Amino acid sequence: MNQTPTNPVSDEKLMLAFAQGSPEALTELFRRYQQPIHGFFRRRVTDPARAEELMQETFLALLRAASRYQPRALFRTYLYAVALKILRAHRRKTIFRAAFFGRPEAAPDPAKQDATETSVWVRRAIAQLEATDREILLLREFEQLSYSEIADLLGLPINTVRSRLFRARAALRQLLEAPAPEHRSEKIFPVGASS
Amino acid sequence: MIAAEHVVTPEEIMAYRDGELSAERAGVVAAHVHGCSNCQDMSEVLGDASQLLASWKIALLASDASFERRLSEMAASSPAAKHPSIGSRLLIFGRRHWFLSGLLGSAAAIALVVGMASISAPRKQVVTMAVRENRLLAQSLQTEPADQAPASAEELQPQEMQHSRVRAELDAVTAQRDALLERFQMEQMTSSLANPREATTMPQPSAPMIARTVSLSLVVRDFEASRLTLDAVLARHRGYAANLNASTQQNAARSLQASLRIPAAELSASVAELKALGHIENESQTGEEVTQQHADLIARLKNSRETEQRLEAILLQRTGKIGDVLAVEQEIARVRGEIEQMEAQQKSLEHRVDFATIDLNLAEEYKAEMGTPSPSISTRFHNALVVGYRNARDSVVGLFVFFAEYGPFALIWLAVLAALAWFLRRRWIRATSQTL
Repeated sequence: MNQTPTNPVSDEKLMLAFAQGSPEALTELFRRYQQPIHGFFRRRVTDPARAEELMQETFLALLRAASRYQPRALFRTYLYAVALKILRAHRRKTIFRAAFFGRPEAAPDPAKQDATETSVWVRRAIAQLEATDREILLLREFEQLSYSEIADLLGLPINTVRSRLFRARAALRQLLEAPAPEHRSEKIFPVGASS
Repeated sequence: MIAAEHVVTPEEIMAYRDGELSAERAGVVAAHVHGCSNCQDMSEVLGDASQLLASWKIALLASDASFERRLSEMAASSPAAKHPSIGSRLLIFGRRHWFLSGLLGSAAAIALVVGMASISAPRKQVVTMAVRENRLLAQSLQTEPADQAPASAEELQPQEMQHSRVRAELDAVTAQRDALLERFQMEQMTSSLANPREATTMPQPSAPMIARTVSLSLVVRDFEASRLTLDAVLARHRGYAANLNASTQQNAARSLQASLRIPAAELSASVAELKALGHIENESQTGEEVTQQHADLIARLKNSRETEQRLEAILLQRTGKIGDVLAVEQEIARVRGEIEQMEAQQKSLEHRVDFATIDLNLAEEYKAEMGTPSPSISTRFHNALVVGYRNARDSVVGLFVFFAEYGPFALIWLAVLAALAWFLRRRWIRATSQTL
């Protein structure tokens, strides 16, 4: 994702070009990262429309902060850091509203949102993990961030990231080995995966 | 899961699969996993977990051309993208050159302090000039001869013009007061003519009786000389000091507060001489009209004396029971007491009219002396210890008093707020646990 054959310009150079006055650079970055950032939010927010809004908000924040951009790390890490901050702000607002105004509406059932039952089951298993372990697991498995990048994003020591990631994977495996709900079927989960 | 003889940890196996180990360590782990069935199983299990997670697919987002167009427009019109703001540039500069930024910040802070000091300096000069102008005005009021010919408006300097304005206001107030006194006197005479019976029974004084009071606050250069002059003024005008307090503290300005009684006829001359002692800081004159009060007192006194005479005649001419005689004598004693009381009031009233009061406040223009001996170090240290002990004691006592005074109040509110915080925290925890 960092470079494509058709556009060999790196993400960092594009961001610097935008900071120096090239609006086309931001458009190119948006095309590269629209789907990954949407996936980042979609896996963490139950409402698809809200996830899309947060994705758009991330790029608007990127636009506003362009003048302060420093290529000290990979652009991908920088972008996920911005997304993580926006996600935390969204969660704070959600918790505040829930605490003071109650829960206005039930969250959409993931079973009705995603296409496969495997997704539903995996998602429910992930939801049972401890919050930090879950975040580390998602950043590693789906955003493909390295241990050091995850450590920088979450402000944790790299050894803590590694041990928590192992713990999260072990816990997830146990959750997936547990007696399956009504959605589980042998066809979806091969034997080798749970043994 | 991994036996004690394994030379690698499960986390290392996971890191090896994730490509997070160094080349040297990765070689060690690879060699071990190749020859260890348990670790191979572990590696496969981790791989299966990752495969399961990979099955969680997210539907691709439909391309939102409107947002992309809007983003492009905003990027094109963003001033931050074209020309980074000064704040952003400073922030970037500060991050890159933190030491130089610290130096520049310190220099800017020093320049700000110096600038503030230079700005406040002219204000101090203005205040000093105003004080000087006031002193000059007081001197001009004090030293101006009474028979000085008035100068034309073109020739007057600003200070002299201000002086003339103050004098004009003073003259206007004096004229207004005199006019009021004359009108009051005319009204008294008119009422006497309209009611001849009352006029014959209540003798009216020929002139209004006014008890005058003057307040003077002066700042003098030579306190001792002023004190001698004050005594001379009192002796020359046959006055006396009804009350006098002098404060002569060491290393501080001396002061004197006195209540002087001066014959009314000598009041103007005395005040003029007292004003010459120093700079006038405050001056006020009041006159209390006591004519009616004096006339009422005279009439009541006359009636009481007539009553006394009638009672004495009854006692001499009439005879009766012992009880009646004693009652008449008691009444005579009561009337005599009233008469003596009213005579004392009359004398006091007339004395207030005959002797005007001057409330004088003298303050020395103090100049600190270089050669003033200061207390020794041991004395200062002893005094500091005593003051420190007192402060500590007072603070502890004050703390106990504060808790005694506000403790119950604070406890009540603390209980209310704690209950509220507990309720909010419970809702927060519930909401957090329900949010992914």
